[in-house]
Amino acid sequence: MRWRALVAFVAAAASAFAFSGCAHHRGARPGQLKLGMVTDVGGLGDRSFNDSAYRGLLMSKKRLHAYIQVLQSRSAADYQPNLNALTNLHFDMIYAVGFLMGLDLDSVAKQHPQQRYAIIDAVVNDPNVVSITFREQDGSFLAGALAAMVSKTHHIAFLGGQDIPLIEKFQAGYIAGAREIDPTIRVDVKYAGSFDDVAAGKELANLMFNDGADIIFTAAGKVGLGAIDAVKDRSGDFIIGVDSDQDALAPGKVLTSMVKKVNVAVFDVARSLQEHKPMSGHVVFGLKDGAIGLTDFKYTREYVTAPRRAELATITRAIADGRISPPDTLQALAAFTPVKL
Amino acid sequence: MSGIFGALIVLTLIKATPLIYAALGGVISERSGVVNIALEGMMATGAFTAVIVSYASHSALAGLLAAVLAGALVGLVLAIAATRFKVDQIVAGMGINLICSGAAAYGLVLIFNQPGASAQVPALGRQYWLLVLLAFALAVALQWVLQRTPWGLRVRACGENPRAAAAAGIDPLALRMWAVTYSGMLAALGGAFLSIGELNLYSDGMTAGRGFIALAAVIFGRWNPLGAAGAALVFGFFEALQYVLQGRIAWLPADAMQALPYLAALFALAGITGRVRAPASDGVPY
Repeated sequence: MRWRALVAFVAAAASAFAFSGCAHHRGARPGQLKLGMVTDVGGLGDRSFNDSAYRGLLMSKKRLHAYIQVLQSRSAADYQPNLNALTNLHFDMIYAVGFLMGLDLDSVAKQHPQQRYAIIDAVVNDPNVVSITFREQDGSFLAGALAAMVSKTHHIAFLGGQDIPLIEKFQAGYIAGAREIDPTIRVDVKYAGSFDDVAAGKELANLMFNDGADIIFTAAGKVGLGAIDAVKDRSGDFIIGVDSDQDALAPGKVLTSMVKKVNVAVFDVARSLQEHKPMSGHVVFGLKDGAIGLTDFKYTREYVTAPRRAELATITRAIADGRISPPDTLQALAAFTPVKL
Repeated sequence: MSGIFGALIVLTLIKATPLIYAALGGVISERSGVVNIALEGMMATGAFTAVIVSYASHSALAGLLAAVLAGALVGLVLAIAATRFKVDQIVAGMGINLICSGAAAYGLVLIFNQPGASAQVPALGRQYWLLVLLAFALAVALQWVLQRTPWGLRVRACGENPRAAAAAGIDPLALRMWAVTYSGMLAALGGAFLSIGELNLYSDGMTAGRGFIALAAVIFGRWNPLGAAGAALVFGFFEALQYVLQGRIAWLPADAMQALPYLAALFALAGITGRVRAPASDGVPY
């Protein structure tokens, strides 16, 4: 009976592969820019980080007429196989989207020195890898400052995905920004331990709202979708979205989103290839590149009044000229003191 | 303090409910002699089907019923693989997990034209508390069925010694087929609770390993419906406790808190070793 088990397994594995949502391989034309992408476990549809990277790829397809292909990672065990699979298909650039993929990309990149890679949110020191990071702490600082201005309870909260250094950048910047406006504000912090357990996001958000926080900043991938679902049933409470513009997911209840325009970075890397001036080394995107920032408060103007927007603009300038340097770790946060502007 | 206790109780119930459904599904399948590690995939199927049918029909209730039917279908696939084709049950279960999550991911692209997460669909809203109650009611009912009815006795007989059962005039293959089908229905209800009960969308990976935790609850509950439901409550409680405690104890990092439910499970399982006995023919094809 063993062979039957084998047949069942092969059939199951084959269909799982067929269903795994890879783009159709229609084949690239000669001379066409070929771009591959491996998503992080949050995956496409997070309306957040991975989706933003994907929009950059779509923009490259539209404007640079690039051929694109995406492989999604269901778990960390998929990173290397996915990277290797794309490497074997010879792309001009392969994007590894996500901090968690750093080590895997490093070993793949060392084995294939002729293949170009780009990694988002991590620094990988190989000559054939361009590392792209963002100053999330700057945008998170603005989010924290706004939350402190709008909060009626002097009590706000932060909901993280996994407790990793990347998410700590959001957390540290947010808390520092809140203290800049209101030095005695209470900021609760909870982590879901996951980027895709949506239900956990709703449960944790309700818990923190019930504890008295009236604004929660989420940096948690799809977990944030659950938090946005939680805020819909409440009045006077807000979520601050992350990475993509999530304001329209619950109009009027998502105060703003701390957008991280991964799409801009992804597109810039592709364009640099097209122009035969490929980016290399470590490139940092921040407020001044327009790659980090808050949304335009389309649905929440009544809370984000003109004086408050002016105050945010002042802080933005202070960050740009270095008078404020938002902390990117919890140690740096401990040393942070509000700056008189 | 009462605020914390209230939050803890509510959260425990919410966290435990999907686990109870899946664990009851595990119990009925394993008592009949079929190991069911496909609970995770069955939950994903239930969660996904509930969302697409609710989306198409604008009725969360229709979504719920469709989820149960889809779960029955997946259960039937495992049942046929395990009975008619005598496939290794672990391999078949793993295959079903892969197919279910993969098919749902593909379905999102086909139906919502976007990978990863569905649009927001009509959900049960406050009525989801009825599903919480139903979970406990089903645990009691299943306990009664397995211990006190002729059908329950036959299920248990097939799980312990299918040959003896066959000699007594029972058809173990047919019985296992039904038991595994019911198992799929129960697990799918757990999935639907997540997608259109608590939330209003399907997102890849949203079951987040709950099917496997339910499997641990089956063992911890010693293959009894009430035991499994109790175990699910214990897991739910520790999950809720870690949510509530996070950030309240400054020196304990979030990572350590998140390990709490698993540590609890480990100690619980270690504590009952020696007293755990699976049905004698669990996982053995007849």
